[in-house]
Amino acid sequence: MSLIVTRTKMNKYLKILEISLQQEFTYKLNFIMWRIRNIMQVLVFFFLWSSVFQNSNVNYFGYSKEKIIAYAFLLIFVRAIIMSSRSVDVAGIISNGELSNLLLKPINFFKYWITRDISSKFLNIIFSFVEITVLFLILKPEIFVQTNFVNIVLFVASLLIASLIFFSIAMLTSFVPFWIPEISWGAQFLVIVIFVEFLSGAFFPLDVFPTFIQNILKFTPFPYLVFVPIQTYLGNESIQLSLLSLTVGAMWALILLFITKKIWQKGLKVYEAIGR
Amino acid sequence: MKKVIVVDHLVKDFEVLEKESGLKGSLNSLIHPKKRTVTAVRDLSFTIQEGELVGFIGPNGAGKTTTLKTLSGLLYPTSGFVSVMDFNPWEKSSDFLKQISLLMGQKNQLWWDLPAMESFELNKEIYEISNKEFKKNLEELVNLLNVSTLLQTQVRKLSLGQRMKMELIAALIYKPKVLFLDEPTIGLDLTAQQSLRDFIYQYNKKHNATIILTSHNMKDLVDLTRRVIVINDGQLIFDGALEELTIKFAEDKLIKAKLSSEIDVKHLEEIGMVKKFEYPELIISVPRNTVAIAASELLQNYPVSDLTIEELPIEDVIRTVFNSRNVFNSNED
Repeated sequence: MSLIVTRTKMNKYLKILEISLQQEFTYKLNFIMWRIRNIMQVLVFFFLWSSVFQNSNVNYFGYSKEKIIAYAFLLIFVRAIIMSSRSVDVAGIISNGELSNLLLKPINFFKYWITRDISSKFLNIIFSFVEITVLFLILKPEIFVQTNFVNIVLFVASLLIASLIFFSIAMLTSFVPFWIPEISWGAQFLVIVIFVEFLSGAFFPLDVFPTFIQNILKFTPFPYLVFVPIQTYLGNESIQLSLLSLTVGAMWALILLFITKKIWQKGLKVYEAIGR
Repeated sequence: MKKVIVVDHLVKDFEVLEKESGLKGSLNSLIHPKKRTVTAVRDLSFTIQEGELVGFIGPNGAGKTTTLKTLSGLLYPTSGFVSVMDFNPWEKSSDFLKQISLLMGQKNQLWWDLPAMESFELNKEIYEISNKEFKKNLEELVNLLNVSTLLQTQVRKLSLGQRMKMELIAALIYKPKVLFLDEPTIGLDLTAQQSLRDFIYQYNKKHNATIILTSHNMKDLVDLTRRVIVINDGQLIFDGALEELTIKFAEDKLIKAKLSSEIDVKHLEEIGMVKKFEYPELIISVPRNTVAIAASELLQNYPVSDLTIEELPIEDVIRTVFNSRNVFNSNED
């Protein structure tokens, strides 16, 4: 009996996944633009660091040429997983009242958006693999491939944690319109583009910052989005340190998810369900 | 009889940001935001029994939609108590949500870029309906609304009326027990309005569903509802049968007469207010308590070949109700 119940509950989210994928396909051009934006950012990164490493054999900030190229290629993949998200749309639906449609249905709001994020991430991952392959064939870079199984397991775990951190940041910034309906994307733009991209290691490895800034950053959730997963893959730190980073990241994820839930409950109380 | 809906001393306030017009005003309100509390619903109480079909009337901004949104759990009451089928709507339990439906004429739950069928199938999973049930309900609704050829069309390509029908299917595919219909016939052509009305009527009868219906379309109310709740400015001003509304608020009745020869209209003014005179037809409005005297006077002194006494059209009654709110307030005191 309970098995049947679980199955019907699963079907709910499977259907959401399916319909969400269909929706992505109807906005092909949008999707392609988004991919191009991602690739451009990585290409800038790639060419910048390639010129730095022109006379190879030198290490900058602890990176060899192979590792920095690997960093660039990993960025494509990591960004596709972490930063592809539909939950950034939540700000808009709160602001225009479409949220009411979701609230009236017997579905869990957070599970709904996680499902929609998964569909977005799924498509983006597939595309990122194609892009990585094409770029690899064109640029023919020397690249560092991680072979240690432990590092790869830790890498996968760190991606999961990073996705949860990004999800709660996207949600938290989306909740601003509960109180200030005019700000439907402003808060998000500020936090995601400026803070998240800049401080997460998506623009450059965080090693380029002075040590004391790096130390401060370690106490924020941002490095655990991009920088820590890539470091874990590259094996730049000992397994013990990677495990520690993973734990701190996991704690951030839990704290942020908890805050997200609390703010959501407060937001619902002031929600005005506008739009007639 | 079971009380399905209970609203007890409900109050709902909204905070609104006041903005002065113009760029200067916008800047001002940015620096010194002025907040004002607007009370959308004030001290509203009523109960509705299982299987009732109730009309909810009020001018724009009277608080109808706010009440419906509170009853479906979207809004948190400022004070007071609401319950629907013994659930507190605010808790949004699945068991509650599976049994209610809020349909708003201008809101869409359908996925804009996909055929409506996709949204129906999504609802099938969300509301956990069996394949058999889904097929049966869908067939019934599709035939009734006559949209079988449109199921695979992208929703954005449908006309407003076609889309409303699809919205209705999405809202009813899981056979809710309680329906909140906010302007369901808005934007529909006359035939579609009629078939929708027939449908609501049957749905109410067949499933013993409890329905609250708001509409500015009087035909909806006259055809469907026996009981109406009238609110204005967030307050209840009438709760009872539609006919009683007329008796209570329409001070005048209409005498319609057919004349057999031309007369001088001037003298008619002594009997009542002439609303229309186009020979041979005459309509005069007279106070309710003197209608019998007026009629006999008319019959005695004028060449009347036919005469009927009628109530004012419901539109007129409701217009009077809304226009003379102060009168009612003093009556209640």
